[in-house]
Amino acid sequence: MLVDTDGAAVLAGGQTLINVLKLNLAAPTALVDIHRLPELRIIKPAEDGALVIGAAATYAQVAADPIVSSAQPSVAAMAAGLVDRQVRNRGTIGGNCCLNDPTNNFPPLLAALDARFRIAGPAGERVLDAADFFTGTMSTALTPDEILIAIEIPPLPGNARIAHRHLQIGADSWAVARAAVRLDIDAGIVTSARLVAGAVQNSPVRLHDIETTLTGRTADASLPLAALEAFDDTRIVTVDDVHCSAAYRKQMCKIQVRRALEEILAQGSRS
Amino acid sequence: MTSDPNPITVIVDGREERGVVSARKLLVHWLRDTLDERGPKIGCDTGNCGACTVRCDGHLVKSCMVLAVQADSTEVETAAGLAAEDGTLNHLQSCFKRYHALQCGYCTSGMLMTATDFLESGEEVTDQSTRRALKGNICRCTGYENIVRAVRAAAGQDVPLPHGAVPTREGDDL
Ligand SMILES: Cc1cc2nc3c(=O)[nH]c(=O)nc-3n(C[C@H](O)[C@H](O)[C@H](O)COP(=O)(O)OP(=O)(O)OC[C@H]3O[C@@H](n4cnc5c(N)ncnc54)[C@H](O)[C@@H]3O)c2cc1C
Ligand code: FES
Ligand code: FES
Repeated sequence: MLVDTDGAAVLAGGQTLINVLKLNLAAPTALVDIHRLPELRIIKPAEDGALVIGAAATYAQVAADPIVSSAQPSVAAMAAGLVDRQVRNRGTIGGNCCLNDPTNNFPPLLAALDARFRIAGPAGERVLDAADFFTGTMSTALTPDEILIAIEIPPLPGNARIAHRHLQIGADSWAVARAAVRLDIDAGIVTSARLVAGAVQNSPVRLHDIETTLTGRTADASLPLAALEAFDDTRIVTVDDVHCSAAYRKQMCKIQVRRALEEILAQGSRS
Repeated sequence: MTSDPNPITVIVDGREERGVVSARKLLVHWLRDTLDERGPKIGCDTGNCGACTVRCDGHLVKSCMVLAVQADSTEVETAAGLAAEDGTLNHLQSCFKRYHALQCGYCTSGMLMTATDFLESGEEVTDQSTRRALKGNICRCTGYENIVRAVRAAAGQDVPLPHGAVPTREGDDL
């Protein structure tokens, strides 16, 4: 139907799209409701150990699924803390990524986890990594006749540590700043780093220069300091909005990066 | 969007309701305007306030964020179905009354639906977890304190009555 009907749009949880329609910001000729398609809501491990989450799985479903909690606890925790009880029952992980609103919760975390995005279209399926799937503010690599069918998250190595920090307007609400970090730490040394900023222009943004700075360093209290220094030399574009100025937003992003790194160090000292 | 007439059949508070709706009709509009079902209110029409909260096949949703066609073949529960036929309040509603958990009452049906869902979920009921459960429901009158107390009281917890809510006359209990 998406292919046959010019101007048709996918309706997933509708927790953004229905508001967009009310405001006449979009006028699709038809809506293709994927919310109740069981094959798009499957959560299962793949043969290579990756966790496969159907694009139309709701936040509530992701939060409650034992496979998600054991394979990717940070994804389950993110889903459990999204918006509110009602929106969690409708909003979908795929819709969250396809919308790619810069303030959305999932894109930065999934980018930090090396998630892959499985897409189906008239020409068959293709799989993109986060860097290719997210193409800029509110945009993705999806063409109008394609749908996202699943998100695949590769298994984490035993030495991986993840933290996600955000500053939100009230509990569980719109973000002013987000940072998602994954560090692989071997014998006290950072062997690989992924730092992703959210709620900035072109979110999610990998902070490659900071990653390079941190890789090979000792995982101790000097790590956040090194990251902060590198942050000042990194080009990050933020915008003014009703909640805050661009400068404040950027400063808060920096602080989320620091806090995420501190949290990772604290995780290490616990285990 | 097409305005094709779409036949839908929905169980609303136990009654089977059939209708023909355009694809753009919101569930809350169908419930209120077509069925005259006044449980759900419209507070914001943007998914923020929770006044329109209902359950759809057991899932708590904001009915201004669901299309009527999406509710086809489902079972919808609204706050209008909480009290008994003769108007006797259920336990949660009585606790709302007793704890002064409403003033203007506009948010109340949404609050009741969310609280019902929360209490039935088996989640631990604490002050904090109750507040988080009610996060999607906005009240502009009560300051939430008494709503949280009412929900905890409904869970069987020993919660002090708010100031001024002590029954004053014989038999004036609930
Ligand atoms: C009050 C409120 C507060 C919110 N706060 C937050 C918040 O703090 N953080 C946050 O992240 N989100 C927030 N949201 C948004 C919510 O998470 C949305 O659910 C989400 O952004 C979109 O997911 P959806 O499943 O509802 O998608 P829809 O609204 O159905 O669709 C969104 C867009 O993605 C497209 N789409 C969806 N799924 C697919 C697919 N599988 N393939 C191709 N295209 C697809 C649609 O065509 C549409 O353009 C909030 C929403 C509300 C109502
Ligand atoms: S009217 Fe639906 S959430 Fe406010
Ligand atoms: S009692 Fe008035 S809005 Fe809650």
